[in-house]
Amino acid sequence: MRLYPLLFLLLLVAGALAVLVGSGDLTDPELRDTFLKLRGYRLAAAFLAGAALAVGGVVVQGLFRNPLASPSVLGTTAGASFGGQVALLTYGLAGVGGSFVVPEMTVPIGCFIGALVSLAVLLLFLRVTQDLLALLLTGFVLSALFLSLSAFVTSVAQETWELGRAVVSFSLGSVSGTGPRQLAFALPLIAVALVACWFWGRSLDLLLSGEEEAQSMGANVGAVRWWSAIWVSVLVAGAVSVGGNVGFVGLVVPHMLRPFAGTKHQRLIPAAALAGGVFLVACDIIARVIPSRSEIPLGVVTGLIGAPLFLLLLIRLRRERAYA
Amino acid sequence: MRNGDGHLGLRAQGVSVTLGGRSVLRDVSLEANPGEVLALLGPNGAGKSTLLKALAGLLPYEGRVEIAGADVASLSSRARAKRVSYVPQRSLLRSALSVEEVVALGRYVHGGSFGGMSKNDRDAINHALQTAHADVLRDRIFTQLSVGEQQRVLLARALASDAPILLLDEPTAALDVGEGMAVLRLIRTLAARKHTLIVVLHDLADALSTTDRALLLQEGRVVEQGSTGDVVSPKPIRAVYGVKLIENARIGFAPGTDADTGTGTGTGTGTGTGTE
Repeated sequence: MRLYPLLFLLLLVAGALAVLVGSGDLTDPELRDTFLKLRGYRLAAAFLAGAALAVGGVVVQGLFRNPLASPSVLGTTAGASFGGQVALLTYGLAGVGGSFVVPEMTVPIGCFIGALVSLAVLLLFLRVTQDLLALLLTGFVLSALFLSLSAFVTSVAQETWELGRAVVSFSLGSVSGTGPRQLAFALPLIAVALVACWFWGRSLDLLLSGEEEAQSMGANVGAVRWWSAIWVSVLVAGAVSVGGNVGFVGLVVPHMLRPFAGTKHQRLIPAAALAGGVFLVACDIIARVIPSRSEIPLGVVTGLIGAPLFLLLLIRLRRERAYA
Repeated sequence: MRNGDGHLGLRAQGVSVTLGGRSVLRDVSLEANPGEVLALLGPNGAGKSTLLKALAGLLPYEGRVEIAGADVASLSSRARAKRVSYVPQRSLLRSALSVEEVVALGRYVHGGSFGGMSKNDRDAINHALQTAHADVLRDRIFTQLSVGEQQRVLLARALASDAPILLLDEPTAALDVGEGMAVLRLIRTLAARKHTLIVVLHDLADALSTTDRALLLQEGRVVEQGSTGDVVSPKPIRAVYGVKLIENARIGFAPGTDADTGTGTGTGTGTGTGTE
């Protein structure tokens, strides 16, 4: 298979560019180490978030038998982001004033709960209808709900200046400010969840034929659904907590990979992890090199690539009458 | 069957199914034995498919379904799937899996969580593809096949599981004469290999040509049960379908190629139905 050598080569190129490209001057010997360190964290954060979101996309697409699903389309990232903000707020309000420390541990837990709640709503919704567009609309509504709840949290948090700044910068989502402690908490979460998703891969293959056939072939459909939802929530929580509150990665990457890696989950998941990481690192480089007074948010770049692709996919699926 | 062992029969006692508050199936008892094809007959809405799904453990039911004396309800989904395989009329699969990948799904119950295929898995898949005459389709994309080809692949997927009991939901519906004949011959081949087969059929001539015993359902109840020749006879057919059974009304079809071992196909006796 030539897919993996290609992906590793791309990773190497993207990684090198991510370290070398930027506004800082690497020739300055005093600042060079600091720049390299910051860019290294940034590279790691983008790679981790990309891997997590791409695999999250693969799993929710199998879970809902819907190639248009992804954590951002279904409102899972919005749920995670809101959960993270609530965690920040509770931590900040409960903590005694003075210097505000980013609570690296409570944020991922809040993100996880938020993501799981939004996925649980969709899973319960599956019992009512399996219609493709109804599912996407419900995801959209969930997303809008969590965004307005986030806006509420932001306005509450603004009563304290430092807390408000922390909540706002968190909700914008960026890998530029990610530090080593956040990475240290997110890395094991994401790594464990990636392996777990791979283990559920065979069961997810069965689910592609629908609940009834999957059950008749020996899958425990309930267990597959809930465990997949839990592990996707962990992935999204990890991604959002390192600043990867970015859309469409889980849609774009699996779609680009399927012609090369096929449809079977245990082949698709490792490839998606690698390709998702490369994709987000590349998007982060683009965000850095586009001339602008301040840096363009990462989510803008992924959105500009992902949204048109989503529409193209939707039109093609309707034409093939494959799903709706 | 691939392995000579494990010839299992299936027994149901007093099976009732209620769906959405409506009683769909009432007190159905049946027995299916290895080497035998049992037909489930009846008009639309009689509960044929519901009964098949209940036997496959896909629906909640009251009563008891036994395999070799063991209550199916007490088996795990994996243990059940190793014994009973259900073949739907159409698959809901819409993803671009190849035929070989689809058939490999049938091996799920034998594998662990790791992706690798053992030699035994590959043998089972090859054997199933050959038995269902689907080996030429191996590398094709499942969703791009004709309905008849898909039906053969679904049968291969069920065979790959090595389950001795096969439940088929209208395997010949929507197939043309040639495709339908191929599937009916395959059913006889499997019976000759001591599989236990329960088949929902619409066409009474197909039932007469292919099945040994039949169960006639009407509004969720068993009207008649016995050898297919006895069940598909003027009195019960008139009672259930409101049609008159007449002799020699229909030209039968026989396989045009060399017959497989154990086939009982060919509706040369020409029994058919005609409206009154």
